Amino acid sequence: MTSTQGRVENRQPGYVPADNSQPPSRRFRFNEWLDGHARQLFITPAVVMILIFSIFPLVASLIIAFSRVRLKAGGYQVRFVGFKNFSKQIFGSEQFHFLGTFTTLTFLGWVVALSASAAILWWMYRYITTGFSIIGFIGRMITAIVGLGIAWMFAGTFFSGNPFGTLGVTLFYVFVGCGVQFIIGLGLAFLCSQPIRGRNFFRVAFFIPMMITPIGVGYVFRMMADTTKGPFSPAWQWFGLNDFAWAANPWTARIFIIIGDSWQWIPFIFIILLAAFENIPRDYVEAGQMDGASNWQIFREISWPQVMPVAVTVMLIRVIEGFKIVDLPNIMTSGGPGIATESMSLHSFFAWRSLDLGQSAAIAYLLLFVTVVICVSFFNLIVVNRMRRI
Amino acid sequence: MSTDMSSASETDTLTSDAKRLSIRKMNKHYGDFHAVKDLDIEVEPGEFLVLLGPSGCGKSTALRMIAGLEEITSGEVIMGERDVTHVLPKYRDIAMVFQSYALYPHKTVAENIGFPLKVTGVPLEQRNQAVLDAAAQVQMETLLERYPRELSGGQRQRVALARAIIRRPSAFLMDEPLSNLDAKLRGFMRAELKHMQHELGVTTIYVTHDQIEAMTLAHRVAIMKDGELQQLGTPAEVYTNPTNLFVAGFMGSPPMNFIEGTLSQGSIQVGNDKIFLQGAQEGTAVTMGFRPEDADVVEAGEGRFDAMVYTAEMTGDLTLVTVKHGQSILTIKMPKDFVVDYDQKVGIQFDSGLSYLFSTSDGSRLKAIVVDS
Amino acid sequence: MSNVSKVPRRSLFDRLFEPPRIGAMAPGAKIIVYTLLLAWSAFVLFPIYWLLITSVKTAADVNAGPFFIPFVDFTPSLHAWRELFIVDYADTLRAYVNSLIISLAATALAVLVGSMAAYALARIRYQPNLITILIFILTMTAALFAVFSYGVDWRIVLVVGVGIFYFFSKAVASRVKVPLANGDILFWMISQRILAPIVVVVPIYMMFQSVRMLDTHLAIILTYAVVNLPIVIWLMYDFFNSIPKDLEESAQLDGATMIMTFREVVLPLSRAGLAATTLLVMILCWNEYLLALFLSTAKAQTMPILVAAMNAGERGILWWSMSVVIIVMIIPVVFMAIVLQRYISKGVLLGAVKG
Repeated sequence: MTSTQGRVENRQPGYVPADNSQPPSRRFRFNEWLDGHARQLFITPAVVMILIFSIFPLVASLIIAFSRVRLKAGGYQVRFVGFKNFSKQIFGSEQFHFLGTFTTLTFLGWVVALSASAAILWWMYRYITTGFSIIGFIGRMITAIVGLGIAWMFAGTFFSGNPFGTLGVTLFYVFVGCGVQFIIGLGLAFLCSQPIRGRNFFRVAFFIPMMITPIGVGYVFRMMADTTKGPFSPAWQWFGLNDFAWAANPWTARIFIIIGDSWQWIPFIFIILLAAFENIPRDYVEAGQMDGASNWQIFREISWPQVMPVAVTVMLIRVIEGFKIVDLPNIMTSGGPGIATESMSLHSFFAWRSLDLGQSAAIAYLLLFVTVVICVSFFNLIVVNRMRRI
Repeated sequence: MSTDMSSASETDTLTSDAKRLSIRKMNKHYGDFHAVKDLDIEVEPGEFLVLLGPSGCGKSTALRMIAGLEEITSGEVIMGERDVTHVLPKYRDIAMVFQSYALYPHKTVAENIGFPLKVTGVPLEQRNQAVLDAAAQVQMETLLERYPRELSGGQRQRVALARAIIRRPSAFLMDEPLSNLDAKLRGFMRAELKHMQHELGVTTIYVTHDQIEAMTLAHRVAIMKDGELQQLGTPAEVYTNPTNLFVAGFMGSPPMNFIEGTLSQGSIQVGNDKIFLQGAQEGTAVTMGFRPEDADVVEAGEGRFDAMVYTAEMTGDLTLVTVKHGQSILTIKMPKDFVVDYDQKVGIQFDSGLSYLFSTSDGSRLKAIVVDS
Repeated sequence: MSNVSKVPRRSLFDRLFEPPRIGAMAPGAKIIVYTLLLAWSAFVLFPIYWLLITSVKTAADVNAGPFFIPFVDFTPSLHAWRELFIVDYADTLRAYVNSLIISLAATALAVLVGSMAAYALARIRYQPNLITILIFILTMTAALFAVFSYGVDWRIVLVVGVGIFYFFSKAVASRVKVPLANGDILFWMISQRILAPIVVVVPIYMMFQSVRMLDTHLAIILTYAVVNLPIVIWLMYDFFNSIPKDLEESAQLDGATMIMTFREVVLPLSRAGLAATTLLVMILCWNEYLLALFLSTAKAQTMPILVAAMNAGERGILWWSMSVVIIVMIIPVVFMAIVLQRYISKGVLLGAVKG
C-alpha cells in the first residue's frame, strides 16, 4: 500500500493478528482507521491549502482583472468590463507605462525588429519542416508570438531611443540581472571548488547576503551609492562626480538595482553550483590531468558537462524568482526616475495603492502570463533538450 | 519428492508454529511485461525453499508478492489455512530480511531488533527481554547499544536476522541476504543461517542467484527463468537430473559443458569425431552436456573427441583444464597434479551414463542416451 | 642508468601555471584565485561592515560625510541601539516577536504539510481525474463571478457551489475519466511557485478581510506557509526518493502503519533534507515584505515592515536606527544557520536541483 509500484488495494482494515485474543482497543481502532485513510490524510492538507490560498485567489484575481472595482460602503462594487483593463495597458492610455513610449522606429529599431522577426519565423519554419506535433506547434506558436511582441517592443523603445515601460524593465532585471548573477556565481563556485585553503571562510562569507531581508539590502545599497555621504564619496569626488545623482539617471538607477539584486542572489547560485562542483568525482578531474588536459580543458570538457544540468535548473529557479522583483526598486528608487526602474510587480502594487484594483490585477496577470511563457519555453526548449542530450 | 526436508520437519524443535505456504497460479504483470508466470509452489511447514535464478528472472518479484509488498495480478497466497492474497503485509505474520538488511541507521541495534514489537505495542519490559533473547540467538548481545554504521557486514546481517526472529513469525522471507558479504564471511554465515533455520524450524523462502548458496541451504530448490518455474526439487535432484538445458547450465560450478550438433545417421559430428546417440529422432538439433567432474582429459585420439588445450588453471585442490573445440569452450576437472601444455591436442573422454541430451530448439531434456559407438 | 635524460628546465610561465603535482594548484593560478575570491569577499562583506558601523554612528557622523573606522574617525555611540531597545522597545519587541512567531509557525506548517505531501507523492500512487478538477475550477470560477459581479452572499454561493460540484462530479466525472499521475500533481504543486505574490495577494487580502482576519498572525502564517509549500514539496520529494525503500518496506512488514513509518523511519532519516529546507523557508519567511505589507496594519507587523518604516517622517531616513534593525534581523538567521549547518553541507539543495 505504501510502495509505488506494488500496493495491496483490497485491504482488510481492522483485521487483528490471530494471536491477539483481546478485542482491539479504541486507540488501536483509531490507528487502523488513520492507516486506512493515509492516502488522503497525507496529501489533503497541502491540496486544500494550495486550493484556498493559490488557486482560489488566482481565479478571483482573473475576475478582478476583467472588472472595474470601486470601493463602496461596506465592500466593493465589481462591474464586468471585459478586456478593457488589458487593452488600456497594451494599447490605451497606460501603454507608455506598461510597454513604453512608441513614436517612430529609427533605422536601428527597424533592423532589430526585422532581424528578430526573421529569426523567430525561421525558427518556426525549421520546426514545422523537421518535426511536427499539435501541442508542440501550439506551444511554439505562443512562444513565437510573445517573442515577437517583446522584440518589437524593445525595437520600438530601447533601440529607437524611447523610454520603455515596466515590462521592459522587468525583462531587463531578469535577463541582464540573472545573466550577471549566473556568470559570477558560476565563476565563484568554480574558484571555490579548487583545492585552496580557507574554503569554509569563503563559503560562509559568500552566503551572508542571502540572509538579509531584501528591504535591508535596498537600504544598504542606497547608503553605499550615496555620492555625498556614502563610503565611496571620496572616490566620487575624486572623479568630480559628487553632484552626480545616480537615481536621476534611468540607466545608472537600473544598474544599481541590479548590483543590489546580484549582491543578494549570487550566494544562492554560488552555494548550489559549489555543491555541484564538489560533487564531481575527483577521479574524473584527475584522469583528465593524467591525460594532460589544461585547466580550461578540464573545466570545459569535464566539469561543465557535469554541472550543466544543475546550472540550468538553478537558472530556471532564479528566473522564476527574478520576475517577482519588487522590494529593491521600491526601496532604492521607488520606481523612479519616472517609471524607469519600476518592475511589473511594483507597477501592480502602485496600481493597488491607488485603489485601481482592476488595473492592478490586469498587470499582475500580464506578469504571470509573461513569466509562464518564458519559463515554460525555457524549460521545454532548453532544459528538456539538454537533458535528452546527456 | 522431498527426501531431504523430512529431516527438518521431523526434528522436535519449534516446528509447532511453522506453517505451510502455498503459492497458487501467481502472476505479475507490469503493463505488458509478464514478470511472474503462473508460479505454483507448495512450501511445506518448516521447509527451507530457495528460489534460484539469474537476475531479472522474477524471483525477487515473487518474494515481494508473497510478502505483500507487490500487488498480485492474479493467483493466491495461502498461509496455513488463511488466504492472505489481499492482506496487508503487516497482517501476514511474515518477517523479511532484505539484501541491504534495511537496518534503520538512526536506531541502535537494540532499537532495531525491538522495532517490530514496538510498532505492535508490546510493553517495554517484555520487549527488552525479547530483544535480549533474539540478540543472544545471533550472538549480538554485547553490541546492543551500537549503531548499524559501527558494525561490520556480518554483524549487520545478524541484527537483521534478530529483527526477523524476534516476532516468531510463521515464515521468513530472505532476499539475497548474503550477497553483500565477502566470500569468506558468506560461507560462514551460510552455515549459521542454515543451523538457525533448522533450530527454529520456521518455513523459509530464500531468494538468491548464487547456485552454491541454493545447493547448500535448501531443502528444495525452485529454479526460475523469465518468470517461469523451470524445476522444483531437492538440490541433488536438480543437479543430477535437470529437466532442461537452462537448469543443467545454471547449476554447478564450473557449469556443465555443452556441445551442439545435428543428429544424422545416429550420431553427431564433433570435429572429426562422431558421437553416437540412441533414442533421438534423426535430424534433430541436439545439445549434449556433461559435467566437468564427469570427464577426463586423455591422449589425443583416445577420447570421444579431440580438442585443443586453451588454458590450465591450478585451483589448489584440482586443476581446471579448459579446452576449445570449434566455438565451444569446455572445462574439465582434473587432479591437482595434472600437467598439460597450451595448444596441445588432447582427447576428451566422458562416461556415457553421466551425459545429458537436450533439444537445442526448446531446451527440453531428450530421452536419448550416448552410446559407445 | 645514465641514459635517463635530464628534465629540461621549465620556463617561468610554466613554473607559474603548471601545477607541481596532480591535485595541487600552480602558484600563479593560486594567486589569481585568491585575488578574485578576496575581492569578492570584500564586495560581500564591506556593505555589512558599513551597516555595523553605521549602527553606532550619530546623526552628525552620518551626515558629515564618510567615516570608516570607529574610535579613529568618529566616536561610536550606542544611541540608536538605546533608542530602539529602551525608548521604543515596545514597538521593536512587538515586531520582533511577531516576526519570530510568524516565521517559525509558517516554517513549521509548511515543512510539515509539505513533507507529508512530498512523501505521499513519492510513495503512493494517485490517479486524480482531470474531469473532476475541471468541474471544480469551473464551479469555483462561476461562484466567484456570482459573488463579485452580482453581489450574491458568499455563504449562499458556497452551499450552491458545493451542491453543483457534487452533482456534476457524480454525474459526469464518474463516467468520463482522464487520469492524471503523481508527476502531474507534483508539477502542479511546484509550479505554484511561479505565482508572483502580487498576483494572489489582493484576493487573499479580500478573503481575510471578509472573515475579519486581517492583521492577525494566523493570516500571515497561512499565507507564508502556502507560498513556501512548493519549495518544501520540491526539495523533500527528491529527498524522500533518495531514501532506500527497503527501510520502509521492512517497517511495513514489521507491522508499522504508514504514519508510524513516516514518523519513526522516514523523518529521522530525512534530517539533512528537513534542516536545509527549514533554513531556506525560514529565511524566506523571515525576510518577506510585500505580503506582510498587505496583510498587516499594526498588531501583526513584522520586522521588514519596521525596517521600511525607518524611512518615514520628515527627518529622512534614520540610517542609524535602520542599521540596528537590519543587524538585529540577521542574528536569528545566523543562529539558525549555525544550528542547522552540519546538516546542510550534504548538498540537499543540489539533490533536488539535479532531479
